[in-house]
Amino acid sequence: MPSVEENPLESLENVKTHALLPFLHQQSATALSRLYTSPSSCLSIFRLLTPVERQIVMNILWLESAIPLSTMAAWVTIDGKKLYERSLETLSQLHILSQYPMKLLLNSTFKSSLRHAITGGGTTGSFGVPATKDPKHSPPTVESLDGYALERWETILHYMVSSGTGQLPTKPSTGVLYLLKESGLMSGSQNFEPQITSEGFQFLLHSPHDQLWELLLQYLHMVERRSMDLVEVISFLLMLSTMELGREYSTENLSQTQKVMLEDLRDYGLIWQRRPSSKRFSPTRLATTLTSSSEGSSLSTLAPTQATGLGNSSSNALTRSKGTGAGIGGGAAGGGAGSGNQQGFIILETNYRVYAYTDNPLQTAVLNLFVSLKYRFPNLVVGSITRESVKKALNNGISSEQIISYLLTHAHPQMRKFNPMIPVTVQDQIRLWELEKNRLKSDSGFLYTSFQSQADYEYVLNYAKELGVVLWENNAKRCFFAHEEGHGNIKSFIERRRTAGQGQ
Amino acid sequence: MMDTLCVVIDLSVKHWQRSATASDQPLSLPAFLIQLVAFLNAYSAGSSDNALAVFAAFPGKSLMLYSSTDTQPQSTTVSGPNSYPPFQLLDDAVVSSIIHHLESLSDSEQEAPCPLVGALTKALCFINRLTLDHNTNTSNAEGLDPIALPDPRVLILSVSPDITSSYIPIMNSIFSAQKLKVTIDACQLSGPDSVFLQQAAHLTGGSYLYLERRDALLQHLTMTFLPSPSVRGAIAVPTQDKVDFRAACFCHKNIVDIGFVCSVCLSIFCQPVPVCSTCRTKFPMKTLQRLNASRPPAQPRPAPIGTNGVSKANGSSYGTPA
Amino acid sequence: MRAIKGVLLTCDAAVKQILLIMNEQQSFIIEDLDDHHLVIKADEEYRIRRQLETELEKNTYTLES
Repeated sequence: MPSVEENPLESLENVKTHALLPFLHQQSATALSRLYTSPSSCLSIFRLLTPVERQIVMNILWLESAIPLSTMAAWVTIDGKKLYERSLETLSQLHILSQYPMKLLLNSTFKSSLRHAITGGGTTGSFGVPATKDPKHSPPTVESLDGYALERWETILHYMVSSGTGQLPTKPSTGVLYLLKESGLMSGSQNFEPQITSEGFQFLLHSPHDQLWELLLQYLHMVERRSMDLVEVISFLLMLSTMELGREYSTENLSQTQKVMLEDLRDYGLIWQRRPSSKRFSPTRLATTLTSSSEGSSLSTLAPTQATGLGNSSSNALTRSKGTGAGIGGGAAGGGAGSGNQQGFIILETNYRVYAYTDNPLQTAVLNLFVSLKYRFPNLVVGSITRESVKKALNNGISSEQIISYLLTHAHPQMRKFNPMIPVTVQDQIRLWELEKNRLKSDSGFLYTSFQSQADYEYVLNYAKELGVVLWENNAKRCFFAHEEGHGNIKSFIERRRTAGQGQ
Repeated sequence: MMDTLCVVIDLSVKHWQRSATASDQPLSLPAFLIQLVAFLNAYSAGSSDNALAVFAAFPGKSLMLYSSTDTQPQSTTVSGPNSYPPFQLLDDAVVSSIIHHLESLSDSEQEAPCPLVGALTKALCFINRLTLDHNTNTSNAEGLDPIALPDPRVLILSVSPDITSSYIPIMNSIFSAQKLKVTIDACQLSGPDSVFLQQAAHLTGGSYLYLERRDALLQHLTMTFLPSPSVRGAIAVPTQDKVDFRAACFCHKNIVDIGFVCSVCLSIFCQPVPVCSTCRTKFPMKTLQRLNASRPPAQPRPAPIGTNGVSKANGSSYGTPA
Repeated sequence: MRAIKGVLLTCDAAVKQILLIMNEQQSFIIEDLDDHHLVIKADEEYRIRRQLETELEKNTYTLES
């Protein structure tokens, strides 16, 4: 990060808000208070906050009484003021701060739960009750859990990417299909095979962490409609994110709602159970990394799909994903042969050629969305970015920026030596191809012309401008073009004026 | 956003006993450990990508107690439903190994000085290792400038007074830290202010805190040392308004108010010497006489804090050998 | 005063010239507003886009064989 030195706060300001937080904003204060009774939920939500927000919470976590705003504001730097105020705003929207903007005080439920999370103790059991040792079976290994999660998640993505291509990949469960349709990622009615939509294509190019949360948010919306208890659903997801990979937990302390969720989450690959009726379950890496950070360099740490780099040669993929879990140290452990792949696999040359070191059908299929593939070798796919291939992607609703960001995030370590990573010619050309598609813009509406007087013209034009529907105007010709939406209003406006004029 | 924090704990038995029995706000080791663990957990809570390592300076030896990046043995103690497993692991590793090591000390060993600088050096080595890993992982190793880890820092929690004989190793650690872009934070929990730690914090852009309210240890740790250097850009932390810049002389390892600096290699001496012990430069007799004549007659006395740059200022007036 | 239903096309000057030529073969332009704007018959838009695309395609060259 060379830019850090120019603006020390840049790295703080560019922190993305996590997708779950806006959803929580919309929830009522009582619902949030219920959610905050669970220490694991508080801990997970705390993790999703930005660094400045986290520091504010920590600064007042151990205080018993409210402090005046000015006490903390005294520590805020001039440059940090905006950031600080925005952070307070967010915390208050989440009802984590309870008396803002009068005083600074943590919501008492949140405070006691987060204290419990940090010091241990309490009796809520919110970090999951570990199952007693099973005499017959040993708990699943981390490797087998990774394999399972990977297989489930890729089934979903692969199904999406190959819909409409005539291939028939394994179908995910009906629950997943329903969710995909509900979320608008796929379309189709009962009788037809679902087709991927342009949102779906965009979805495929997102990072695995974002994809997972996108689906889970959709799931949360759906839960509301299925009249399940939203708070229990969210707190279960957050509980999963604090669980330990490779350990079995008991289902006995789960609520009815949460037991129902087990089935759904099994389908998404978030949890594993020996049998659907089993009294124990194990979270997979997809679940335990739910609240790990998602940006930038840490991308490789949480992406099981990323780790699929060379997915099908499973032994290879597994050693790698084992390494990715523990952050940097883990990276070191897997640093040998596999390390290149967890970072990315695409090499793009200035001549638009793409070399993708992968044998994963999913990644190949995703590349096929915007690359015209030429040769396929056991561990390498070669293709090139052409006008046709990019146009095909654009027609599917994928934007040039999404293509470029996909290439960036999956760039092979060799590419990372260049600055900029993606050859400028190729980047520009992809953008130009997108512009080319937009040479003609059309809006339907009405052309208003032949006004009797300049005053008449201006009078109607001003009204239309107030409606905000004017697309084009020309004073000399005394005519203007307005969007369809405004026609009804303009028409009645003119008629009213005419009758009023006749009345005189 | 990933942080790296190494905590160095001073576990001098003698000084902890003194701290626990202090008449004014006593702070015992167990009470300290409880708050320390809460602080460490609060740090780890920030993000699962946060790297954390804990180093301890026991009497006579320094050890690494915990590192979040080394593969942990699958925890044998099953954490209950009320605690977050990684915290449990961290707390057990830190507290139990401290107890274990302190109990195994014999009475005579307890008296040995704590090699704080040894633990600090280990922490810097640890950060260096992470930096190298970080670079191989991003394939930056081949002939390019290594990318520094984002915001690595060391926090030193000290109870012992400065050991003047470790002046040179401490300064060398500070220079390595500067080179690695590591911020050194320091907190003197009891006893006299530490000159060396003040300098360490000052020279690396960190924060030095003399803990006056020992009952509010956790609050101070949280406000001052929890924010990473980038967050400190938005929410400032207490910094020193005065830094004790005094150095220790190379000949007797005394902290000096007025030092005599070799004009060739910048070694510091508490009295004019005819030959520099470091670089063997011979100084003219005349200069020596002049300097001896201008020396204040008084013997070394405790200097007031905040004599910024006295040694430097006097050192530079030292004439070049003709 | 009159209100004429149609579709407003916003385009660059080059595209507009092509459209004018296309209009000579089969008329679809209602009003030629200025260098960058045209109003055309609403039901002709799809055909016009298709035809324009083939026209523009004639002017692109690829290395593909």
